[in-house]
Amino acid sequence: MTTTIYVPRDSAALSVGADDVAALLAQHAKAQQLEVRIVRNGSHGMLWLEPLVEVATAQGRIAYGPVTPADLPALFAANFLQGGAHPLRLGKTKEIPYFAQQTRLTFARCGITDPLCTDDYVAHGGLAGLQKALLQKPAEIVAVLVQSGLRGRGGAGFPAGIKWRTVLGAPADQKYIACNADEGDSGTFSDRMLIEGDPYMLLEGMTIAGLAVGATEGYIYLRSEYPDARTVLSEAITRARAKGWLGNNVLGSGKQFEVFLRIGAGSYICGEETAMLESLEGKRGMVRPKPPLPAIAGLFGKPTVINNVMTLAAVPCILAQGGDHYASFGVGRSKGTLPFQLAGNIKHGGLVEVPLGITLRALLYDFGGGTITGRPIRAVQVGGPLGAYLPASKFDLPLDYEAFAAAGFMVGHGGIVVFDDSVDMQAMARYAMEFCAIESCGKCTPCRIGSTRGVEVIDKIARGHRREQNVQLLRDLCDTLANASLCAMGGLTPMPVLSALDYFPEDFTKN
Amino acid sequence: MYSNKVLDNGTPARTSTKTVALQIDGVQITVPEGTSVMRAATDAGVKVPKLCATDSLEAFGSCRLCLVEIEGRRGYPASCTTPCEPGMKVKTQSKKLATLRRSTMELYISDHPLDCLTCPANGNCELQDMAGVVGLRDVRYGYDGENHLQAEKDTSNPYFTFDPTKCIVCSRCVRACEEIQGTFALTVEGRGFGSKIAPGPTDFLSSECVSCGACVQACPTATLMEKTIADAGQPDHSVVTTCAYCGVGCSFRAEMKGNEVVRMVPNKDGKANHGHSCVKGRFAWGYATHPDRVKKPMIRRQITDPWREVSWEEAIGYAASEIKRIQAKYGRGSVGGITSSRCTNEETYLVQKLVRAAFGNNNVDTCARVCHSPTGYGLRQTLGESAGTQDFDSVDETDCVILIGANPTDGHPVFASRMKQRLRQGAGLIVIDPRRIDIVRMPHVEANFHLQLKPGANVAVLNAIAHVIATENLAKLDYITARCDLAEFAKWDAFIRLPKNSPEALEAETGVPAVQIRGAARLFASVPNGSIYYGLGVTEHSQGSTTVMAIANLAMLTGNLGRKGVGVNPLRGQNNVQGSCDMGSFPHEFPGYRHVSDPTVRELFSTSWGVPLDGEPGLRIPNMFDAAIDGSFKALYVQGEDIAQSDPDTKHVLRALEAMECIIVQDIFFNETAKYAHVILPGSSFLEKDGTFTNAERRISRVRKVMPPLAGLADWEATMAFAKALGYPMHYTHPEQIMAEIASLTPTFAGVSYDKIERLGSIQWPCNDKAPNGTPVMHEGQFVRGKGRFMVTEYIATEERTSRRFPLILTTGRILSQYNVGAQTRRTQNATWHDADVLEIHPHDAEQRGIKDGEFVALQSRKGDTALRAVVTERMQPGVVYTTFHHPESGANVVTTENSDWATNCPEYKVTAVQVTPNGKPSKWQQEFASFEGVQDSLLPKKDA
Amino acid sequence: MDGSKLVKMANQIAAFFAAEQDRKVAVENVAGHLKRFWDPRMRREFLALFDTGGDHGMSELVVAALKTHRATLEPTSQ
Repeated sequence: MTTTIYVPRDSAALSVGADDVAALLAQHAKAQQLEVRIVRNGSHGMLWLEPLVEVATAQGRIAYGPVTPADLPALFAANFLQGGAHPLRLGKTKEIPYFAQQTRLTFARCGITDPLCTDDYVAHGGLAGLQKALLQKPAEIVAVLVQSGLRGRGGAGFPAGIKWRTVLGAPADQKYIACNADEGDSGTFSDRMLIEGDPYMLLEGMTIAGLAVGATEGYIYLRSEYPDARTVLSEAITRARAKGWLGNNVLGSGKQFEVFLRIGAGSYICGEETAMLESLEGKRGMVRPKPPLPAIAGLFGKPTVINNVMTLAAVPCILAQGGDHYASFGVGRSKGTLPFQLAGNIKHGGLVEVPLGITLRALLYDFGGGTITGRPIRAVQVGGPLGAYLPASKFDLPLDYEAFAAAGFMVGHGGIVVFDDSVDMQAMARYAMEFCAIESCGKCTPCRIGSTRGVEVIDKIARGHRREQNVQLLRDLCDTLANASLCAMGGLTPMPVLSALDYFPEDFTKN
Repeated sequence: MYSNKVLDNGTPARTSTKTVALQIDGVQITVPEGTSVMRAATDAGVKVPKLCATDSLEAFGSCRLCLVEIEGRRGYPASCTTPCEPGMKVKTQSKKLATLRRSTMELYISDHPLDCLTCPANGNCELQDMAGVVGLRDVRYGYDGENHLQAEKDTSNPYFTFDPTKCIVCSRCVRACEEIQGTFALTVEGRGFGSKIAPGPTDFLSSECVSCGACVQACPTATLMEKTIADAGQPDHSVVTTCAYCGVGCSFRAEMKGNEVVRMVPNKDGKANHGHSCVKGRFAWGYATHPDRVKKPMIRRQITDPWREVSWEEAIGYAASEIKRIQAKYGRGSVGGITSSRCTNEETYLVQKLVRAAFGNNNVDTCARVCHSPTGYGLRQTLGESAGTQDFDSVDETDCVILIGANPTDGHPVFASRMKQRLRQGAGLIVIDPRRIDIVRMPHVEANFHLQLKPGANVAVLNAIAHVIATENLAKLDYITARCDLAEFAKWDAFIRLPKNSPEALEAETGVPAVQIRGAARLFASVPNGSIYYGLGVTEHSQGSTTVMAIANLAMLTGNLGRKGVGVNPLRGQNNVQGSCDMGSFPHEFPGYRHVSDPTVRELFSTSWGVPLDGEPGLRIPNMFDAAIDGSFKALYVQGEDIAQSDPDTKHVLRALEAMECIIVQDIFFNETAKYAHVILPGSSFLEKDGTFTNAERRISRVRKVMPPLAGLADWEATMAFAKALGYPMHYTHPEQIMAEIASLTPTFAGVSYDKIERLGSIQWPCNDKAPNGTPVMHEGQFVRGKGRFMVTEYIATEERTSRRFPLILTTGRILSQYNVGAQTRRTQNATWHDADVLEIHPHDAEQRGIKDGEFVALQSRKGDTALRAVVTERMQPGVVYTTFHHPESGANVVTTENSDWATNCPEYKVTAVQVTPNGKPSKWQQEFASFEGVQDSLLPKKDA
Repeated sequence: MDGSKLVKMANQIAAFFAAEQDRKVAVENVAGHLKRFWDPRMRREFLALFDTGGDHGMSELVVAALKTHRATLEPTSQ
């Protein structure tokens, strides 16, 4: 009898030796004349448990982790192929509390299926959304999306349905879907995990978007730092074409949709949607002024839907299960789920897909289990390198777009980076300016010159040079950056800087 | 460069017929839809601070000085990138905006040298002005932070410097190079604070830069700065005038310090160039005050005598006495004159008047003889008027361009940039040229078809294209029925459908695959607006006139005449070649293209001029040479043309010159013809006189005097003195009076006056009661001749064929940095780019002959031989070689033949059978040239030490 | 002037107008072109050459033009 074993191929698992584990596992099984089938699945998102090896048993999938090659002899000895007891045994995967407490809509299949297996995809509910969409008129698809309340998961939180409606209404001989997979925020990995763990879902979402707005071509702009995602995605596109999921006759409908993969060149700013368009057009990645909105004049000057991976990947589920189903999750105007990413100094780092409205505290402690170092959490940066540093007093704030915005923070792409009480917030403020200085496209003056001056001013503060005047200058500079920058890069850099200054002022008065 | 004297609206004008009404600082204003808030503000008289915006470029939104507040909108949108919307209420000034602008300026200045007082832009620097406008008083960051103040200055370009220490990275230069010029030579290197402008991985001189000056023009600081301004300082006044180089006729502001030009700046309001320029007009004007300028009249009895500097009176008196003597001895028809396409309309008019009225014959011709005379003839026959049908702006609305026998990126660069803008927007391009000229493939421009024909096969290719359109039923028959002579069309249609005119049948003759011709024909016939642009590659053939007629046929066949976006567009070579033709410079025509044999017209002129006039056509330039050698033509008054260098078959020309008894040369330099002259009258440059030039689009523009004539008299004054000495006094005190006379005698100019030109900026003729403001597009509604006339254009190959002895075809042309015979450009730093003519040859032909790139080779034809350096290049097709004629010592025209256009005698410069051999040494002609030059130099008065 | 050159030029003109099917018109056109564009001395010498007998290489159409329109081609001045 052949036993199916799952060893993730996700980059996070690979980075801690999943390939070695898989290879040795096969050798051991062969040596012991045990018949095994090793499936390289996506990650379940419990990264502190990677490599998380699962064994398919009659009782269901039993998880062991984190598994190192050195553990294998003992695991075989413990008869783990039958779910045998071992210190690494975690029980049934789906019953691990971290996993069980999530609401997996977007990541429903991730970790469970073989990412590139088309049969697996269909067997686990894939294509249901697309099939429904093919029966609807474009305006009806858009209506479902509007009803779902889905908002852009890239950071800005603009209602996706409204954007689609604009593109649908823009007359043009050619329209495009542009998927932003330039996931550059520090501490974020949900896009990558989805691409590596369930790539067809993204393609399905893009195809539905194409049908909804009348676009026949989609471009995925993937960051170059994701080589594994690139491999999976290009293979997925090839197979989807071969299956007729993409191409001139999508699922035999006569409708046309093609997807092209483009790789970035290591620039953070190319994650800004208009700079991404420039880069996709083969130009230097520079921010474009808006208007015109990309929805009216986007890629190659044509109406373009630009959504990030998480937004487009939420679409198949919304179409399959209905807009109201998706809207039944979340709070207020922040509907649906958000795959949060716990990173930094956190005990249980990983992906947590839960409805919007959860508190930071629940994420940090109930899921995250506090810091790895065991020291108290002092600051949490939410929403990437341009997000605010929140002090412990703000941990009960619900994670929804409005509540965060009202408090001067942003949910962003759902990245959460944790720091314990050893953090120097002046250094973090400096880092924010430095990040802006390094990643600025150099187009607008506040960002181009201001970020460099920001670093210099913070250094002067750190040296105690005219501290009071320089703190004021730093605040003035932040005001200029926030109000005068061309794009969100310069516009948001003040957020981490000012939050550090406002909530951790004590760090700016010591030399 | 930036000038605080020129209004900058910040963003380009929009032309939408829909309008938007809004309020800016309480001022109600209505603007075309799509207009930016910034431009609307300027219209409303409200100035918004700005640095990266300029109205020649699309909005960019980088400097963040132009932020405004808009009621109901979050934040502070940039006024340059925000389009006006109905009912908008905009505030351009508030405390918050002031703070943001000042703090942004504070950032700029934290990385800028504080050397305003010694900076060449001092007084005309937009950064300086804006710092003042926003009230910057302090830079709290100090000046010890990271900066670019040690960056190295690039002085490689002969005309301007690039000083990165002063750069504010507004990208205006990069955008100007892309949007206006279309060369894409500049880029921003690095990113963030490290962003810097770079001409690729090299310096300016070695880069793709063509020195058009657009980047310098766009620069708001001293970063890109003319060397003349760095040397001389800012100008104290400026005068609008017209460039004296090519037929584009760009409008310029001559910026002056007293009588000295310090800079030529393309005029934004100029309708031919809209503020753009090329390396010649923008920078290569130093010749005007070059030490080589002839400043005193000179005379001598024989060309072996030394020159004697004399007074104007003596020189003119001598010239007149010689003319009288020669006419007395050899007859009235033994003398003649050549008008100049470099001179003004008024001067040209005077010279032809002098010939007709004072010499008493019609022996007057002009250099159009050797360039666009077939255009005049061919378009007159088919459409009824001897001129291009469109204005330059028309190209903005074209959907497909046929470019035949023209190389505008070299020859007409400012118009080429305009055309490239349209091509980048997606218009189709069909290039018909033996060479792979640059526009075939350039950044963001690629021809749909390059029909790389053999030289001499123009008619065959055009017939084949027309054949495809006719036989595949792609012709616009409704248009033809409504507007053309149907009997002539029927004849033509029967002819063109003959199998011998099919692309397949002509493939061997044309060298162009039939499938390409069919593709090009279908493309051209399929677009709403198709236009044809052409140059000397069309006219300078034995079938030049036939080709022009074939072009007109094709335009009529596809319904492409009589509106914007279409037309037959000759790209004229010289600044006033259109004008010199209009002014009656041809021996058979009075001003306005009216034949001398027409008694009514003759009566009109005879009455006005007060003398009887001859009704027989006079000699054309090549006929003058033949008659001179024959002994019946003995004296020539030639103004501003160097026939000894520019006309074909040099040895024949020189024999003719040697045979004459009196040659009067009026020129700004002692040119090649002057070496054979007996009287030198110093010419005046375009900066030294008033007048008008007429460009290729029939646009009459003012030339304005900015300095006194170096030799005391403007050309028109010298001609008047000459006429008077001949006993035919003329009484003008200003060229304006000459134009008034032209207008009174010429129906197409009836409405032209200096006053009106002043008012309108420029006027495109016809300008009369029917079209009081001129005519941008001709043949609207109906053709000038009534019904358009198709002409049967049989392909008759030139007699000039390759043979075993001369197996290659030589074709000639021009390059960007040099102009015509080079008399002007060789006396500027344009020589940096091109200091000698070279022979372009295909690698295959070079290999076969053992010729290496850069090697001196011998070039021989049945007419003569010369030697020059070879450039081995795949721009050429095998079997065809190419050279230019900008340098007299290269002797390109020693090789060219006496063949000419059947109708007009326009020489066949474009087809000469030649042989090229390695190890070239200066030919016998070149050695004689050098020694003759030495002799002639020794006969010149010693220059003042 | 060089007679052979005049003949060559006239033949070129005739070659263009030879495309005209109506013979009379073709002959007229050749003569008309010579009259409108050739200086009197060129026409005079050309006619003189013609008068020496033989065609001197003139094309048939040129000869016809000279014969038919001789009077028109005679110079009126100089």
